[in-house]
Amino acid sequence: MSNRLIDIIRSEDESLRHRSLESVVAEATTTQLLEHCRSLDAYRRHEENLYCRVRALFFLSSIHRYHLPRRLELEGARSESQLHNGLIPFGGYEHLLSRRFSEAIDDFLQTQDSAGPSDAISSALAQAYHQLGFQTLADQVRKSVRTVRGNQWMFRLGHPIDHPLRLRRELLAADPKRGAMPLLCETTAVRMDLSHSAWSDIFFLGMDYPAGARVLNISVDLGVRGRDDSPSPPIETYLRVIDEPVFRLASVDLNATAEVTTIGEMFDFARDYLGLLKAAVIAAGIVPPGLEGCGRPISELLAQLIGPGKGLELVSKINDIPKGSRLAVSTNLLGSLISILMRATGQIESLTGGLTESERRLVAARAILGEWIGGSGGGWQDSGGVWPGIKLICGAEAAEGDPEYGVSRGRLMPVHQVFDRRRASEQTRQKLQDSLVLVHGGMAQNVGPILEMVTERYLLRSEAEWGARQEAMTILDQVVAAIESGDIRQIGQATTRNFEGPLQTIIPWATNRFTDRLIQACRDKYGDQFWGFVMLGGMSGGGMGFLFDPAIKAAASDWLQKEMVQIKTQLQTALPFAMDPVVYDFSINDQGTWAQLRSGDDAVMPDRYYQLVLPNLLRTATRDLSPNRRSELQSIARRCADGQIASSASSKLLQSVLPHDESDERSDTSLHNLLHSIGFDAEQHEQIRADLKNGRIGLSQNRLSPSTTIRDVGPEHVVDLRQGCSLEEVKAGEQAIADGQVGVVTLAAGVGSRWTEGAGVCKALHPFNRFAGRHRSFLEVHLAKTRATLRSIGGAIPHVFTTSYLTDAPIREHLQRHEHFGFERGVEVSTGKSVGLRMVPTVRDLQFLWQETASQVLDQQQQKVRESVRAALMNWARTTGEASDYTDNVPNQCLHPVGHWYEVPNLLRNGMLHRLLQDQPSLRYLMLHNIDTLGANVDPGLLGAHIRRGADLSFEVITRRLEDRGGGLALVGGRPQLVEGLAMPDERIEFDLSYYNSMTTWIDIGRLLETFQLTRSELADTAAVDSAVRKLAKRLPTYITLKDVKKRWGHAQEDIYPVAQFEKLWGDMTALPEVECQFMVVPKRRGQQLKEQAQLDPWKRDGSAEYIDSLCDWRD
Amino acid sequence: MQVRKAVITAAAPNQNRIPTQQLVDRQGKDKSALQLILEEVLSCGVEEICIVVRPGDQGSFEQASGDLVGSVRFVEQPEPIGYADAILRAKPFVADEPFLHLVGDHLYLSASEISCARQLVNVASEFTCSVSAVQSTRENKLPYFGIVSGTRVPRQEGVFEVQRVVEKPTPTRAEQELVTPGLRSGHYLGFFGMHVLTNDIIAALEQVVADESLTKPTLSDALDVLRARHKYMAFEVRGTRYNLGIPYGLLISQLAIALSGHDRDHILTELVDLLAQRNALVGDGGRDA
Repeated sequence: MSNRLIDIIRSEDESLRHRSLESVVAEATTTQLLEHCRSLDAYRRHEENLYCRVRALFFLSSIHRYHLPRRLELEGARSESQLHNGLIPFGGYEHLLSRRFSEAIDDFLQTQDSAGPSDAISSALAQAYHQLGFQTLADQVRKSVRTVRGNQWMFRLGHPIDHPLRLRRELLAADPKRGAMPLLCETTAVRMDLSHSAWSDIFFLGMDYPAGARVLNISVDLGVRGRDDSPSPPIETYLRVIDEPVFRLASVDLNATAEVTTIGEMFDFARDYLGLLKAAVIAAGIVPPGLEGCGRPISELLAQLIGPGKGLELVSKINDIPKGSRLAVSTNLLGSLISILMRATGQIESLTGGLTESERRLVAARAILGEWIGGSGGGWQDSGGVWPGIKLICGAEAAEGDPEYGVSRGRLMPVHQVFDRRRASEQTRQKLQDSLVLVHGGMAQNVGPILEMVTERYLLRSEAEWGARQEAMTILDQVVAAIESGDIRQIGQATTRNFEGPLQTIIPWATNRFTDRLIQACRDKYGDQFWGFVMLGGMSGGGMGFLFDPAIKAAASDWLQKEMVQIKTQLQTALPFAMDPVVYDFSINDQGTWAQLRSGDDAVMPDRYYQLVLPNLLRTATRDLSPNRRSELQSIARRCADGQIASSASSKLLQSVLPHDESDERSDTSLHNLLHSIGFDAEQHEQIRADLKNGRIGLSQNRLSPSTTIRDVGPEHVVDLRQGCSLEEVKAGEQAIADGQVGVVTLAAGVGSRWTEGAGVCKALHPFNRFAGRHRSFLEVHLAKTRATLRSIGGAIPHVFTTSYLTDAPIREHLQRHEHFGFERGVEVSTGKSVGLRMVPTVRDLQFLWQETASQVLDQQQQKVRESVRAALMNWARTTGEASDYTDNVPNQCLHPVGHWYEVPNLLRNGMLHRLLQDQPSLRYLMLHNIDTLGANVDPGLLGAHIRRGADLSFEVITRRLEDRGGGLALVGGRPQLVEGLAMPDERIEFDLSYYNSMTTWIDIGRLLETFQLTRSELADTAAVDSAVRKLAKRLPTYITLKDVKKRWGHAQEDIYPVAQFEKLWGDMTALPEVECQFMVVPKRRGQQLKEQAQLDPWKRDGSAEYIDSLCDWRD
Repeated sequence: MQVRKAVITAAAPNQNRIPTQQLVDRQGKDKSALQLILEEVLSCGVEEICIVVRPGDQGSFEQASGDLVGSVRFVEQPEPIGYADAILRAKPFVADEPFLHLVGDHLYLSASEISCARQLVNVASEFTCSVSAVQSTRENKLPYFGIVSGTRVPRQEGVFEVQRVVEKPTPTRAEQELVTPGLRSGHYLGFFGMHVLTNDIIAALEQVVADESLTKPTLSDALDVLRARHKYMAFEVRGTRYNLGIPYGLLISQLAIALSGHDRDHILTELVDLLAQRNALVGDGGRDA
């Protein structure tokens, strides 16, 4: 079999192997592309080399995602025939959700063979190949982690009685005077990387391209500027033997403690906040992974490990370093915990002091295992804090004897070259400390999607990105050279070039508006004395570094702190910030992880630990406390009396046991006052609660009756305008625009639950992509399209953004700050009049969502974690009270907009439509669209088609892709109407529907008023309008939905809760018999919606971003 | 190489009563554990035996030696400062000869007509070097044994050239450093409690005993020094060792001896009877491994 793509994949010649997919398929026809796909698919089925197989899978995915759809569209446009829609077989979809990717691919290919290629089936194949590719890679990493020598035995152990580890005797020697057990303490640095050669620390990259995998990584101690006196190792872990046969875990930063009594509980990661500690206990071999599911009590294991009646206590403290610091705090904490546990069991020879190189490597290998077990992921450089000082970490070729040999080019574990004083002088280290300002910008984002994108880009070897990777490697050399020569300014120049060049070429999402503004502000303020910017870790916005001339570092640190807070304040309604930005003091840690054994009076836990456990100890009767606990209480008392505990800590200790005064928390902005002030309908709320409790409404009740016949529409039910509108329609539309007959309504009440996973920011204001040189928000894009229409056709187009309580003020403020983006008039904000209060979901609905609705199964370990989270959340719903008000969050996260149907009546109720009609009496039509339908513009042809066909409402629909879930156009009882996904009696029905609702609707204002039984003149009569709206609302179904909301606490910690809310949806207008609707099939690009940030990357790569740019006029 | 001498160590704390325990041998005769050990030693042509005991234990050991007491000499280890030191106490006894060494709390059952000690001495004579008896040991037993790793000697069944010796390694270390090709996964060559040692061991013992970084140096420490300087082999003995010092060790050893001897049928009948009555017994305390 000879195929150019396969030749590339198999080639040993670097110049051929590193060629891109595009170089072969850019000009290919549909037939040629399909031929490539056939060859690649046959090849990947028998190829034994993992990386060749994976590369073939990514080639296939890319052809189906980017190349075939474009070809099909172009060739379809050229031929006069009816475009083929294509359906996705539900069976294949089910396979996909259950991670049976190969079976899904077979199913989809069969459909492609029988029904011909289509955009729909290609979207499904692209997804299936993509996921199979990542699954293959993840399986390989898992296999490598398990087969690392020193890790294998942990998977063989099946019963605690066979446990081959024993605790070191030194930890059992109680203090003869007071009986206190010795305390083993470990302190560990975190790591900061000056360059990671374009994310080359991703396992897959290091294993396929070891020569390109290099990171310059520095261990640092931290202190929060203004809070801590001096930098210290941020991670502290403690271990001691206790006289109860339990495993006690405590995290002082998360205020969490737990007593693990069964081996099963140790594997239940989401039961509490101690998942990371549990993963460490498992990865350190104390409770080896092979014991999962053995069903034995932990006392049995502890008896074997330590002796009968004994247990262990493991405590962690990270000095309140917030999440998202990009300093790999969690991996290094894992490393520290693993190290202390391995010391205690003799797996590391030295009980105290530092580690040898081989011991550090062992800890790092176990940390990788721990991350896999805990369902998280990190890069191989992340445990760098375990090593001392400055080091270059490099990928290594797999050699004979390595488990990877013959499977991948590189090894899982890299090698570390620690720089000695000759390579990085004392002076250089000091200069770096004197120049670099480390900060946490306040954003805590999930870097996972970025790492997936990098992997995909690497495997495809697209030319620009491959060139960028080579450049990033050269920059790393320059950074190393600058360290060696002690030229800090040079470092700044190199890291800035790295960030602005290769990193953003490969992943544009590595930066954001916040970071760009910060860098600009530094340049404006300090000019030449600002030496450069360093992106830490996977993306910017959280942990970042700024290099300044040492002469101004102190002043710049203070200034930066203020500047960050100011910019954050401006952007916090648009970008998901988890906390206020902070500046750190740091110093290079030249020790690496370090342990001490404390005994006697020195064997005390950190003060915060006692604040955490004291209340419980005092609540327990003294006779019920174990002797160790009793003596510990006495020791606290003694130390308080002797003044060994600082007075501030003593007073905190006291506070921890006394009742809190909660009056401060009840300020005027509290939720109930707020509800009262914005006219919340308490009566309706109570009705919904009662219905929800009684099971009259709920997720399963959203569905139409199973007896309803739902079929796909035929060509006669739609107007297919994918190949363009007629000249007459275009002319009619242009005329209407020029005459001022049309306005735009952009729905902007939502907080983008899916977009930011419940962070509660205003989606309309999210600066999601760079257009014309800077990041622009959805709102700005929509205005730019209106501007373009106005400039090309003329007339006046009022543009209304409908808001809710949650988005109104931010949108108004944003428009004002930007002077309405140059619009002198016509940009309006329609304030929402309806708001709901979220409720704790019912267990019944949670079960329905998680167990009866088809959803994507995750990779083995992540799925286990997810199931554990779900069990915890069901328990939360049960104990908090099903259908009770959800009030345990900031007010904005407790309220919810009540569905987009209300946004149109709001225009009537708040007088906006009345005012528009008065200001512009010629106004006859409105184009209503979702905030995330970026392609929707006032297209003259579509407007003309709406006018000339005389419908009340014209809905734009698009053909369906795999990701377009949530209903569609269907014949219900013979009538075409839009059916919401929530209302589908059976999920598989959706897969038989050709068209997906884009939500963009052309409205005839007069007819709409008729539907409400109102006239233009009655719009001024608030009572009449309210009554008309109420009347129509009653005829539309109410849906219960579950949305994720984030609750922020501690230091950038976030919990996600599913909460219940109700909605009425605009699409249901099509079900009203008196409303005459037409459905216009429009090109995919026009109707495509951006619901999740993960869609951004394919959206940019498939040319959609360019298309949107072409619709816009940015000259404001 | 002729092995005429043997050294038995029995000076570890809590070990002094084990060799004096009474058992029934394969022929159904009452014997002390020490007598069984001495018989094993004498089976391979050893003429003189030295037992290292704690101060004050000599009397009971003499008594436990029964009619074999004539072949036995005693030396005392004044302080329990380690296994290496205990063997070193026999330095004057061994003079410059090779010797067989056994621990005093193990019994050995050969799987062939040739006793375990004889098998080992034969190998040592053939290779003219120190040889330790080993057996394939599952990793859950690592906390109890010294472990060696090595490469198989071609055309010699069960003979290995030793590369590393580590006393009671963690499974993590064992997997990284002590894997011997040809064994089942999770299995290592664990000491059998029986060694033939050339006189070179004395220098190695003296070195480790003098090493202040080691607390209670073991024979394994000395053997690791030995293997770096001299040829040192391990031999997979065809037989089984029984540790009398662990819980139920004595019972299991007795059963093993009895089931390989005259009274096999009698013991089996008794065991079946016991098993039949098991329903009447209280639960097994969760130990269902």
